[in-house]
Amino acid sequence: MDSSIIRALKKIVGAEAVLDRPEELMLYEYDGGVEKSRPGAVVFPQSAQHVSEIMRLASATKTPVVPRGAGTGLSGGAIARKEAIMLAMARMNKILEIDVENQRAVVQPGVVNLEVTNAAAKFGYYYAPDPSSQKACTIGGNVAENSGGPHTLAMGVTVNHVTGLEVVLPDGKIVEFGGKSQDSCGLDLAGFFVGSEGTMGVATKITVKLIKLPEAVATLLAIYNSVEDAANTVVAITQSGVTPAALEMLDGFMVRCVEENVHAGYPMDAAAVLLIELEGMKETVEEQAEIVSAVCTKAKAREVRRAKTEQERQLLWLGRKTAFGAVGRAAPAYYTQDGVIPRTKVPATLAEIERISQKYGLIIGNVFHAGDGNLHPLILFDSRDPKQTEDTHKAGNEIMETCIRFGGSITGEHGVGLEKKNFMPQIFTEDDLEFMIRLRNAYNPDSILNPQKMIPEMRFCREITGPLPKAKVEPVSGVPV
Amino acid sequence: MEREIAAIVGEAHVGPQELTSAQLEINGVAPGLVAAPASAQEAAAVVRVAAERNLVVAPAGGFTKQDIGGVPERIDILLRTHRMNTVETYDPGDLTVSVNAGITFAEMQNKRAEHQQWLPYDAAKLSQATVGGLLATAATGPLKHAFGGLRDFCIGVQFVTAEGKVAKGGGRVVKNVAGYDLMKLIIGSYGSLAIITQANFKVFPKPRQTETFICNFSSLAEAIQFRERFFKSPLTPICLEIISPYAPEYLNDPQPAKDPDHYTPSQPVKQAANTWQIALRAAGSDNVLARYRRDLGAAVARELQGADEEQFWRWVSHFEYNVLAKHRNAMVMYTHLTIQGVAPAIHGLEKAAPDYNFIPAVLGRAATGSLVIAFIPLSVDPPSAMQYANCVSGFRALLPPGSSAEVAHCPKEAKLHFDVWGTTPTDVAMMQAVKRAADPKNIFNRGRFIV
Repeated sequence: MDSSIIRALKKIVGAEAVLDRPEELMLYEYDGGVEKSRPGAVVFPQSAQHVSEIMRLASATKTPVVPRGAGTGLSGGAIARKEAIMLAMARMNKILEIDVENQRAVVQPGVVNLEVTNAAAKFGYYYAPDPSSQKACTIGGNVAENSGGPHTLAMGVTVNHVTGLEVVLPDGKIVEFGGKSQDSCGLDLAGFFVGSEGTMGVATKITVKLIKLPEAVATLLAIYNSVEDAANTVVAITQSGVTPAALEMLDGFMVRCVEENVHAGYPMDAAAVLLIELEGMKETVEEQAEIVSAVCTKAKAREVRRAKTEQERQLLWLGRKTAFGAVGRAAPAYYTQDGVIPRTKVPATLAEIERISQKYGLIIGNVFHAGDGNLHPLILFDSRDPKQTEDTHKAGNEIMETCIRFGGSITGEHGVGLEKKNFMPQIFTEDDLEFMIRLRNAYNPDSILNPQKMIPEMRFCREITGPLPKAKVEPVSGVPV
Repeated sequence: MEREIAAIVGEAHVGPQELTSAQLEINGVAPGLVAAPASAQEAAAVVRVAAERNLVVAPAGGFTKQDIGGVPERIDILLRTHRMNTVETYDPGDLTVSVNAGITFAEMQNKRAEHQQWLPYDAAKLSQATVGGLLATAATGPLKHAFGGLRDFCIGVQFVTAEGKVAKGGGRVVKNVAGYDLMKLIIGSYGSLAIITQANFKVFPKPRQTETFICNFSSLAEAIQFRERFFKSPLTPICLEIISPYAPEYLNDPQPAKDPDHYTPSQPVKQAANTWQIALRAAGSDNVLARYRRDLGAAVARELQGADEEQFWRWVSHFEYNVLAKHRNAMVMYTHLTIQGVAPAIHGLEKAAPDYNFIPAVLGRAATGSLVIAFIPLSVDPPSAMQYANCVSGFRALLPPGSSAEVAHCPKEAKLHFDVWGTTPTDVAMMQAVKRAADPKNIFNRGRFIV
């Protein structure tokens, strides 16, 4: 990276808030996904003003900027190439306000997801979206990716919980979208920004809804001797008239990994389990627990357990939320996917994943948000073995194609990033993508902010549609995909 | 041009059809041509004709909210969506539905009811309003309290761009972050960015029974205190509506006014009846409803069930239309407030309205800040155009910071004197940049929306 840019960055944020030595940069060359690339410099802004000055510098010098939260993302959204400045938001980590009366929290982007709930809980409120990485991932990253989590089945994803944003645009301008009110006059630019994967601007202040903690919670564990029965139960529950707060599935392989890891009482011999959570008023929860237990039993669950204590409940969830890490016991590396399918297609898709697993001789564990039809197949492999690595990508692609074939999507909550960018043309037409690019150009005309993420290269569209008004070709060299 | 469009949609589908010219006018502006395409592709072809000639296109659904917004600069083509009125796909097991934009909401909803499913949505005039129109105007009703707006359950949208291409965002699955969330952008854009041709929704199991508890209070302060107590309780009703003393006058079946220019209450409205109401709708089993009864206790003045309950909520949804049916010159505003902004906004209303000879009637979502405010002109003194303008700016000046309030309905003559959309916390320059990107020639709804 040009040393004049490093000097300018140091002038903006101070020398201690810029990293440019290779050994420091190494820590920022990966996120939770599989791609790797070392940025040119890492800079830690501490205010919107800092971000604005950095963006102005970047615009003037045409230097790409890649924002990063905690680096837990799974789609390569925070991977920066060597010419790029990585904008690490970790030091903008203050909860600015817990406004109980208005049921809102105002936070900086580097605040860790769970900290919002922890700060609100003493007032009887919580922040609903709960990605498995919620102890580490940041609200800024959640906004970029429109993150979900197990409890989004009833409560919705990040976009349903963000009402206001302060955003720094690529030209350095600081703007507001929405505020503390649930909505406002004019275009819903706050809603549109969520999930834009850092390609529209950098959120520097985020207003989120706080939700009243439920009076009662029941957590059920339904145990199955066959994956198919568990999958069929998912369909039956959604048709029973009950919307659980969470409806998660783990297959037998994952159950064993998880149980060895946390000792939560998951049955080692199960073919699959469903982890079902019901929340609300006491009376509602009791009634729903009965209905759901009956549905599970009717759908051939061999046993339905209910967590008797809060500790037992927490342990079951700890197992679920650390499931990805738990497979570390079984293989040196894993590749996870995030496909979504219509709920009725869950059984057929799982059967297809099993076939793909056998075809490539790779273990594929399944742990996922069954109620939403949001799959997370984990393909286990040894990254030192090039053949296995290649097969893993092939198997992953086949799973993604299966989801598309069943009328689904390539990503439910992890984002497109670098990883799934080239799948976009399979679910969107050139016209769809062209419209998205036009909109991106309204925010980020030179594509200096998170270039080459989410939407495939311009040339893909240009070949077909010809030059666009104001269209700019993205920088050509990039992170290999 | 007419011939070209007739070649696209068919001779029979060009022209006013069953509608009178008065029904087709938007704030007094008559469209040059009316076209009713049968598909998104036909709609796109019509838009291409318009784009080539720089003609202004206004989309039209059920004509329930066409008077919202500024007076159109002109309308060359009124593009009706009513022929695109079918359900594309519906699988009850998936809890998703895909429909074409010209279907009425009620028709879509009725098909869900067979499976004990619903879209928890109760804006006004749903048997006339189309899905496309409701999305475009981001219309809401009392169920917004628990379920949010259409933005919270629209999972995919197909639309015609200003270039005359068919494009889409989202998909048909309930959770999806592939690509930009175009649903959020297009919902509430009042047809200024694209013409919605198809939409996909997630649907929900429908509650088997509900009950409504109506609590009376002798002042706004007491009603608000009750709301604050309720926030601390575990109760989770699906509606929480605040109703001002004058509003119940309009919670009944619409009766045609004797003379629409005159205020004709069924009984003379006296300031004396200063009762504020909070209506709370609960869903659940007998046990759950018993809990509500127990916890709310003596606060409950009236309980409603079954047909009475349905009718009450229909009246609440239709409040603004009932006001307008009785008083052609009434003005209606929608507010966007914080929770704590509700009381100051109502105080502001009570101050601003009488200053300009309006009687204020308000109801709305006490916990989301979405109020529907009616300014009813006094019959003794028909308001002048400037009176509307002054009243609006007087009221807006009294709103807490961060609030916004648009004028939804008012006489078109008054619209020339003020900005119906008002200020908003969202950056307007960015909105304009988005509009330019989506519709560079400004052919969609020119002059009507904020951008």
